[in-house]
Amino acid sequence: MNHPELERLQQLLQDQAYITDQSIVLSLFLARQLNKPLLVEGPAGVGKTEIAKVMARAMDTELIRLQCYEGLDATHALYEWNYQHQLLYLKMLEKQDTSPEEMERSLFDDRFLLKRPLLQAITYHKSPLLLIDEVDRADEEFESFLLEVLSDWQISIPEIGTIRATHIPQVILTSNRVRELSEALRRRCLYLWIDYPDYDKELAIVRRKVPDIDARLSEQICGFMQEVRKQRLEKVPGIAETLDWAMALANLHIDHLDKELVGSTLGIILKDWQDIRQTQLSLSELFEKVGAISKLDVNG
Amino acid sequence: MDKELIIRRTSLSENILVFCRYLRHKEFRIGPAEEADALLAMEQLAPFDNPDIFRLSLRAVLARTRAQQLVFDELYSEYWKELEKAVDSKIKDAPEEKIKPKPAPGNFKSIKDWLNKNNPREEDIEAAAYSAVATSGKKEFEGFSDDELTEIMRIIRRAAKPLSLQFNRRKQRARHPGTFDLRQTLRRNLRRGGDILELAYHKPKKHRPQLVLLCDVSKSMDLYSKFLVQFMYGFQRVVSRVETFVFSTSLQRITNQLNKNSFEHTLQELSVTVPGWSGGTRIGASLQTFVENYGRRLLNQRTLVLIMSDGWDTGEPEVMEKAMASIQRQASKIIWVNPLAGSPGYQPTVQGLQAALPYIDLFVAAYDVESLRNNLKL
Repeated sequence: MNHPELERLQQLLQDQAYITDQSIVLSLFLARQLNKPLLVEGPAGVGKTEIAKVMARAMDTELIRLQCYEGLDATHALYEWNYQHQLLYLKMLEKQDTSPEEMERSLFDDRFLLKRPLLQAITYHKSPLLLIDEVDRADEEFESFLLEVLSDWQISIPEIGTIRATHIPQVILTSNRVRELSEALRRRCLYLWIDYPDYDKELAIVRRKVPDIDARLSEQICGFMQEVRKQRLEKVPGIAETLDWAMALANLHIDHLDKELVGSTLGIILKDWQDIRQTQLSLSELFEKVGAISKLDVNG
Repeated sequence: MDKELIIRRTSLSENILVFCRYLRHKEFRIGPAEEADALLAMEQLAPFDNPDIFRLSLRAVLARTRAQQLVFDELYSEYWKELEKAVDSKIKDAPEEKIKPKPAPGNFKSIKDWLNKNNPREEDIEAAAYSAVATSGKKEFEGFSDDELTEIMRIIRRAAKPLSLQFNRRKQRARHPGTFDLRQTLRRNLRRGGDILELAYHKPKKHRPQLVLLCDVSKSMDLYSKFLVQFMYGFQRVVSRVETFVFSTSLQRITNQLNKNSFEHTLQELSVTVPGWSGGTRIGASLQTFVENYGRRLLNQRTLVLIMSDGWDTGEPEVMEKAMASIQRQASKIIWVNPLAGSPGYQPTVQGLQAALPYIDLFVAAYDVESLRNNLKL
């Protein structure tokens, strides 16, 4: 990587303990420069959400997160009026002699406005990082609504008026491909696919995140994970699982993997009983493959 | 033909535009907006010392899905390789001819102007002519026509309609105004001191039928594999809650593989991940595995189990009988779709099928779109 700006960004990310590769840095860079949302897809547990968190820290700005779920609608994403608060306030006003006009004016005041993530992002005092997490879980209706907000950067509240963004947020969307996203949304975004890391990248991540881990153990763990992922599993473990496992074993002060240990700690990396059973049955085979890899490493 | 699209241009920006057009012929959806993005991205990153950055940044801007990303790398290297060749041949054959007048090389502004004036209609016509060319597809599943698939989906949709419309007497909350729900309204507004501010509605709750599809992909079913895949794919698309399994000697769940966006993509995925395609048959044992591993989770009194097989079982009939009995006990109905049953004079005499027969609620024949339509009387 020899572009100065790119190197700077990579350094920033590395300072936040995020191990990247060229395509990730490049996509983040271009998304910022072209002022476009970045759509990140990939299997579960490869650090999609983490990218946003790290970027927010690297850019030294607020991370505003909108977690999508089935049935999410505009009120949960934009704003709501705090009815209870308004009602109590009205009751209090009744006792003092205020004119109805004045009452009405004071009723739709900023303090009764509950800002939800999108409104927060628009009104933030500098350009924040808006993370729209698992956008594929929200329904298509919401997706079209999102398109509108993402292109206009303004929200109209009937009682107050139209609020325009003072600073356009940097947007990162993540998707697990539960549902295929619309072409329109895709076209508005830059696209980044993150796959499971290769051996070297995973090793770097483990060593960075679990600094006091034994060198040999970390190599074995990563080698093992690479092999496990090649199996046909219901739920393929991601980096999060690798880190959990590494952390657990490091805490137990273990310096190498053996079959018994793996057998008894499989529950940390595999979350489906069939996967566990299948892996337990083929444990010896897996170990042979991992062993072959680490021997190669020694020779090479 | 592809090579005609690869035209040597003098400036980088023009080459990028031509490359965009090349991608468009490869069924990438790229319009002027994307072309402008690509140029802007280049502007940000130029000069390029590293060809990888060049490729990756173009990919970030132009590829929109995982599938496209994968194809992109291939097309990219193909394109620039051809371009190199074009340069070479030009130098060899006609060194002085055909050098086009340079339109202010490297000037992004002028290119953008050109872009705005660009009339896309001509190209669209051209693109339409090219789109008939299939780009990929596995050998095993050649010869699928879209029409057939649409037809299958139409049939399944109609057949599955009664399945999805089982209304319940129970009510559930509705977000949109419908039937007024007095009870909920009172309860909801009670916490605001009884002032009615918010109205609640309800709607009839729908039964959500569960459909389990068990498909035989063993050797004896090879003749119908095309129909089989269309059938499985169609069901997955049309019915909202369907779990699909395939079996030959062992059982495999393929619901996730079927949930791909395009049919072609699904085929690719299936041919890679299903190991027992055209293997032997152990229906009884496979069904047994299904009952043991998924039975409790998937089978209930609303589950419809659809088994698609010719019934040629190499295992013990007792195993088959036991498995079928426990499926019948747990599920609401079992439908057996047999591709052979359509031939005149067919009797279900296969031993395995004999064992299964008492537990089957409905026995239908289907081996292609036509028979499916006839037998479902649609």
